[in-house]
Amino acid sequence: MQAIIRRSPAIRAWILLAPAVAWLFIFFLAPLVIVLIYSFLERGTYGGVVWQPTLENYRRVFDALYFNTFTRSVYIAVATTVICLILGFPMAYFIATRPQKIRNSLLLALMIPFWTNFLIRTYAWLTLLRTNTGLINVTLLSLGIIDEPLPLFGNDFAIILGLVYGWLPDMVLPVYAALERLDRSLLEAAQDLYAGRWQVFRRVIWPLSLPGVVAGSMLVFIPSLGAFVTPAILGGGKSLMIGNIISNQFLAAHDWPFGSALSMLMMVFMLVATLIYFRAVNREGGAGL
Amino acid sequence: MERFDVELRKVTKRFGEVTAVRDVTLQIRSGEFFSLLGPSGCGKTTTLRMIAGFEIPTSGQILIGGQVQGHLPPHKRPVNTVFQHYALFPHMTVYQNVAFGLEMQKVDKAEIAARVGQALELVHLTGMENRKPKQLSGGQQQRVALARALVNRPKVLLLDEPLGALDLKLRKNMQIELKNLQAEVGITFIYVTHDQEEALTMSDRIAVMNRGRVLQVGSPEVIYEQPENRFVADFIGETNFVTGVLQRAGLPVEIEVAGQLVQAGWLAEGVRTGETAVLSIRPEKIHLLPGSANGEAHQFGTAVSGQVERTIYLGTDTRYLIRLDAETRLVVRMQNTQVGHSHFAIGDTVWACWNPAHARVLSAEE
Repeated sequence: MQAIIRRSPAIRAWILLAPAVAWLFIFFLAPLVIVLIYSFLERGTYGGVVWQPTLENYRRVFDALYFNTFTRSVYIAVATTVICLILGFPMAYFIATRPQKIRNSLLLALMIPFWTNFLIRTYAWLTLLRTNTGLINVTLLSLGIIDEPLPLFGNDFAIILGLVYGWLPDMVLPVYAALERLDRSLLEAAQDLYAGRWQVFRRVIWPLSLPGVVAGSMLVFIPSLGAFVTPAILGGGKSLMIGNIISNQFLAAHDWPFGSALSMLMMVFMLVATLIYFRAVNREGGAGL
Repeated sequence: MERFDVELRKVTKRFGEVTAVRDVTLQIRSGEFFSLLGPSGCGKTTTLRMIAGFEIPTSGQILIGGQVQGHLPPHKRPVNTVFQHYALFPHMTVYQNVAFGLEMQKVDKAEIAARVGQALELVHLTGMENRKPKQLSGGQQQRVALARALVNRPKVLLLDEPLGALDLKLRKNMQIELKNLQAEVGITFIYVTHDQEEALTMSDRIAVMNRGRVLQVGSPEVIYEQPENRFVADFIGETNFVTGVLQRAGLPVEIEVAGQLVQAGWLAEGVRTGETAVLSIRPEKIHLLPGSANGEAHQFGTAVSGQVERTIYLGTDTRYLIRLDAETRLVVRMQNTQVGHSHFAIGDTVWACWNPAHARVLSAEE
């Protein structure tokens, strides 16, 4: 037995892979199948399911109430991704063009806030943004700069702000990695070939940083679309995202099949959106994605 | 007045405390193959980058085609560069790489296609249009880089050690090809290299640089045969430096080395009679005669006596190490023109003789 294992690299590789495969199967694939099956069943009165096949859950998904929340969630996730890219790209470029020593310090500085728990950081925003007692409105009111509190809390603005804050490093790091690899002499070559600043960016820097931009966008978009902590806290119970509705179905409404159907819809949407995005980027001439 | 394509007037470049280029004045003629030659860190690449516009001189002026360049950025200068590691755009095909400069200049599509076609033909890459740089060999990438620069028909082409990354055989071929290409397009080439042989093979004129200064400018023959200082004599080819005391500053110059008086044909400025100086003579300019051939030896013009200390047979030539006294040796290189003819053996007393015109007395400092 041992001799066989030693001789066959394939068997050895499988033995090493086994823990990971088992993990993925038990904690990822199996639950996914359960969710898929539940989404076609009827709800039990106190949670759970009744083994009665139905398509009702998927019909309800398209009810205006839920579907609007879903489209708004997509809008918030897209806005978060775009804002992260607009803020993150220059940051990544700046860091990537500093000398080695400074680069590492800047990357460290970028990470330091994330040593604090996400929940705590989100609550910190709460104390800043709250309409009547938040630090920003209180300060501005007492200074007489504004007469009425600004609508900083309990709306899409607050959620997007929270999400951008939370996921910005996930955009900066992959873009930084792509830009750091970028050969500086390519920029000089472009300048030498009569390209102005904008053209150098458009024709050389941007296409060569696309792999990082794509990775960063995925890392921001996916968790943003499924977010439920940030909207739960900063949405103030008024502004909800699809993640909140799903968690409500399981925890409050005891409607597991409907929660499952919403989850499936979100996953299918993410898959399709990701594929479309990759294809669009490839057409753009991304560096061999 | 002669027309210069590129002129540097007292150009100095400092990076913080470091002076990379010091008071360099150069005049590069139209259509010339001009090389900047020197060891790494001598300022040759910085000089090239200042002409291209990637660096701005700390002081002094650069003129291209008679126009002062001042702070003009690279994309507004009528020069193109072939980079050391080619710097081809990895995400573009060969065609797109070569077309880039023309597109940036808003040349119309039909003309771009025609000119890219011509440029690729010039460097023998027709048919490779749709390849990505990764799919090309080093030599082919080098050609794409050339085509990408030449397609813009610049006044001056700047080349920064373009053959440095190629293997020896390919490098030799490309040297000849580059020289032919330059003759064909008639563009002024400014070529940076640390390889003296490359510079000698290809250039019309060479500027030898060291520590940010230009030490001598001249044709390969002048640089090799008439070095004006120790660095140039040493950097290009092989040479003997023999320290001695100057005895006569007029022609023929006389210097005492190893207790013997010898003659030379040229004296560096600033060396005075009675001062220490250096006799410089190439190994192949020295002729050996047997110690008995007294009269014949002095017909050569000048001769010193010594003993053969070592011989190295090299096929085409034999190298001899001749001991003049306890500290002084001369390297002599004699061609093996006769079959089976072994000239001298270790321990033989010989005359080392030369025509004074081939020997130069240089300052003992650099």
